[in-house]
Amino acid sequence: MLSLLLIIPLLGIGLLNLCPQQFSRNIAAVTILSTFSISTWLLFGLDLSNPELQFTEFLPWLEILGLNYNVGVDGLSLPLIVLNGFLTLVAIYSIGENNNRPRLYHSLILFVNSGIAGALMASNLLLFFLFYELELIPFYLLIAIWGGKKKGYASTKFLIYTAISGLFVLGAFLGMTWLSESPTFDLENLTLSNLDLDTKIILLTVLLIGFGIKIPLVPLHTWLPDAYVEANCAVTVLLGGVFAKLGTYGLIRFGLQLFPEAWQSVAPVLAIIGTVSVMYGSLAAISQRDLKRMVAYSSIGHMGYILVATAAGTELSVLGAVAQMISHSLILALLFHLVGIIERKVGTRDLDVLNGLMNPVRGMPLTSSLLILAGMASAGIPGLIGFISEFMVFQGSFSRFPIPTLLCIIASGLTAVYFVILLNRTCFGRLNNDLAYYPKVILSEKIPAIALTLTIIFFGLQPSFLTRWIEPTTTQFVATMEMQTIALEAEQPFISN
Amino acid sequence: MSSFFSQSVWLVPCYTLLGMGLSALWMPSITRKTGPRPAGYLNIVCTVTAFVHSCLAFLEIRHQSALKPSLVWLKAADLTLTIDLDISSITVGALILITGINFLAQIYAIAYLEMDWGWARFFATMGLFEAGMCSLVLCNSLFFSYVILEVLTLGTYLLIGYWFNQSLVVTGARDAFLTKRIGDLFLLMGVVALLPLAGTWNFDGLATWAATADLDPTMATLLCLTLIAGPLGKCAQFPLHLWLDEAMESPVPATIVRSSLVVGTGAWVLIKLQPIFALSDFASTFMVAIGATTAIGASLVAIAQIDIKRSLSYSVSAYMGMVFMAVGTQQDETTLVLLLTYGVAMALLVMAIGSVVLTNITQDLTQYGGLWSRRPITGICYLVGAASLVALPPFGGFWSLAQLTSNLWANRPLLAVILIVVNGLTAFSVMREFSLIFGGKPKHMMVRSPEGLWALVLPMVILTGFALHSPLILATLDFLPDWQQLNLLSVGCLVFSTIFGGGIALYLYLSESISKPLNVVPESIRDFFARDLYTAELYDNTVVLGVAFISKIVDWLDRYFVDGVINFFGVFTIFGGQSLKYNNSGQSQYYLFSIVFGLLVFVYIIFYPYFSSLSF
Repeated sequence: MLSLLLIIPLLGIGLLNLCPQQFSRNIAAVTILSTFSISTWLLFGLDLSNPELQFTEFLPWLEILGLNYNVGVDGLSLPLIVLNGFLTLVAIYSIGENNNRPRLYHSLILFVNSGIAGALMASNLLLFFLFYELELIPFYLLIAIWGGKKKGYASTKFLIYTAISGLFVLGAFLGMTWLSESPTFDLENLTLSNLDLDTKIILLTVLLIGFGIKIPLVPLHTWLPDAYVEANCAVTVLLGGVFAKLGTYGLIRFGLQLFPEAWQSVAPVLAIIGTVSVMYGSLAAISQRDLKRMVAYSSIGHMGYILVATAAGTELSVLGAVAQMISHSLILALLFHLVGIIERKVGTRDLDVLNGLMNPVRGMPLTSSLLILAGMASAGIPGLIGFISEFMVFQGSFSRFPIPTLLCIIASGLTAVYFVILLNRTCFGRLNNDLAYYPKVILSEKIPAIALTLTIIFFGLQPSFLTRWIEPTTTQFVATMEMQTIALEAEQPFISN
Repeated sequence: MSSFFSQSVWLVPCYTLLGMGLSALWMPSITRKTGPRPAGYLNIVCTVTAFVHSCLAFLEIRHQSALKPSLVWLKAADLTLTIDLDISSITVGALILITGINFLAQIYAIAYLEMDWGWARFFATMGLFEAGMCSLVLCNSLFFSYVILEVLTLGTYLLIGYWFNQSLVVTGARDAFLTKRIGDLFLLMGVVALLPLAGTWNFDGLATWAATADLDPTMATLLCLTLIAGPLGKCAQFPLHLWLDEAMESPVPATIVRSSLVVGTGAWVLIKLQPIFALSDFASTFMVAIGATTAIGASLVAIAQIDIKRSLSYSVSAYMGMVFMAVGTQQDETTLVLLLTYGVAMALLVMAIGSVVLTNITQDLTQYGGLWSRRPITGICYLVGAASLVALPPFGGFWSLAQLTSNLWANRPLLAVILIVVNGLTAFSVMREFSLIFGGKPKHMMVRSPEGLWALVLPMVILTGFALHSPLILATLDFLPDWQQLNLLSVGCLVFSTIFGGGIALYLYLSESISKPLNVVPESIRDFFARDLYTAELYDNTVVLGVAFISKIVDWLDRYFVDGVINFFGVFTIFGGQSLKYNNSGQSQYYLFSIVFGLLVFVYIIFYPYFSSLSF
């Protein structure tokens, strides 16, 4: 069943390349809709009482290398897979009407979808790495072909950075498997308990640097503003919405889950790095003059919350971290989708030029209303999904790291500062009536925005629909971590001193 | 007696939310077909439903004990969020006040926004505001109180930003949002920190916890201060008061609701948190000090304004200062009565001022004069509002202020004196406005100034009637103070201060023999108060400048340092490749030399352990 999620998009690629190019968008949409329905169906079939991987499939592949086709999903990965489908749909409709190479674009988008789903469901380290690296190719092309003025620079920088991220991750994976003398790279065969703590910390650090580039964490973040800004907004939706989430996903899946004791040792450092990211991203966003760049920096800030919460490692904070991953994806997707509309219609992203888009006659009232909503959701106004996930992060992390948490709360005030700047410059103000002849926002652009908005509001009002899938898995992670730490302390009492 | 309406009183916020949703449907495309009005009418219908429901519920609950239903909203890991409600005669009474004033404000808006096309947006945000306030009074949990305060902050932002193409409106909306957000975030810190200590956010639970809690004094003080900070911003107290006068850029119907009710929400939360403040003496002292400073400062600033609406807005801050003093001295019931009488009086004053501004274009007090002969109804409404605001028997405000002063007189005479002074200053301020607007001979802009549309006058007159009856209502509800317990000396001083303050204002501004503008105080002092103690400049030069500066530095670091290092590696690599390519000279001796040299280095590294162990 899970393999369908990988195969259907690939079949879709074949089909849309055989058909005339005016059909390619619809073929892509139907393809993704079908995988999206399958993953949603799986979500409702997920056994919530069982925190282990479900719907598993196993196929021996290169046994001599220890590489097996071993997939499965749990409460951590399945919501992200569903999200992946949803945001891919948004990206298909977010590119706008004037796409001059629709076949290639939609093929790459489908490829991305399949690859990310593969990485999320892989339960073999090497398989995960394969999918993780495979993503770079379509994304490189998507940035380099549909990008803005500096697309060459941005795409190369993106490629080099993320390839280095891959190297670190691969290094850590090889080390984990070989040093622990596991027979294969399969997650269930991997037990790292025979390693001593120093080795584990070294391996974990390598892994953290690898995923830290992807997330990205300050100071490994400079690929992000360039890539997000230069890429087409539709591509940015996928980049920020699901691609960067592979970093935080990897952090929880391979860091927190596999290195419970070492995690406790590095957690304080991680909390500090996370807090620095949050502050840094928010402060840098305030002084941006480019709409997209501002949102890109806001993304750095919001990913920092996830790190702080993951570092804290309490039941609530890890749950909050996963919820924040999903909420950040939805909000970011909405923001970039709307920014993309504004960029296409108005022709500029410059905050000093944009003005008065709320104007009901000549402006874009619906787009700007939704932009206000998205900005407020990102700033953590209650009633929207951003608030409740941030709140779980804060409340969960406070008991472990009070000072970083309080700093994060202050940073969420800075979030409000730059979003108010953004909204005041774009939506409010006086529209220049002589220049404001903007093309109409068409229905196929409105629908993704409205769908995202409704999702954001729905989960904001009913967060238990979001947390119920995630909670069993994260609770299990934390319980294992605490159990192993206690066991370790009982064995080697000096560690606690 | 049946309890259908009181048990279902939680529907009241839902009606108003429904109103919000219905109004929000009137997007520009629909408005183009139907005109903007249906959006407003639908919302008004919802508000009326809410009002009627609250009244019916009040009749039921009046002689019953409070209901405290609760509902689990989210259960995640070890966090359980329950929606706790508190349905009692006080909360339902507050609902009546809120929905009633909202109803009148919305009728008022029909006239005030007669020519406006943005009704949908306006009424939707008004609905949000109303829903927020209704749910706040019903809510019995600190967490949800925080949530609602944040939503109200958003509502303030949207309402102030209603006429978004004016630059003052945009800055006003920005300042209001950010100032309130600062307070809210402190409150959030308090909320987050409180749970591990108390284990609950239910106000009753918190009270039980606080009674026996054994907390480190510093911790308790910090906790209380963060909890005070949220209401501090909402009530527009120093130093977070700046937003309120800029908020006057919003349409007057929104100002009615904000000045009379929304500022009071902060005080409501403070009263609910009162048991926790008992943990720290400093917290109460802090509240009283902030309240007293604001009360005196803002009432002086109000006198120095020449903008009608801004003058009134500083009176709001001053009054909220008195409310803070009342809460800080643990007089919860008096505070509630004060909020009730104040809400009605202030709503009336804002309505009267708004109706004057609407037909006279200007807001500049120096341009006004002689409206009494042209606008008698508005004039009477203003006078009734003013009389109900300050301590003038037998009007509403007198009773609550008299009770408050008399309670303070015995133990904290200084505070009582401050209260009397502030009352006098407020009386001066409102009568100054009255004299400048309505007194004297009509100036050229005032010659043709008719009373407004029925929708403008009717709510005003209804509210006037209500204000005149408010002592009777207080008497029916047993809220009137007992004459035997009042300290008559303090009450006398209070009444004297009203008459003295108001009288001086009338004399100074109505007398023909005194030339205007008045020059009783030196210009520098007048400017100091007229420009709000230079608070805006202070913020611009400290906090705003600081954040802007730091963000510039971070941005610079990001561009040139962090990214610079990365780009340096890139350039270095290219440079290395470019320069190394010249080594390919084609001379085989050179190649051989480099191979041999490399081999030697390699061998040395490999055998280094052996070399180092050799001893020569």
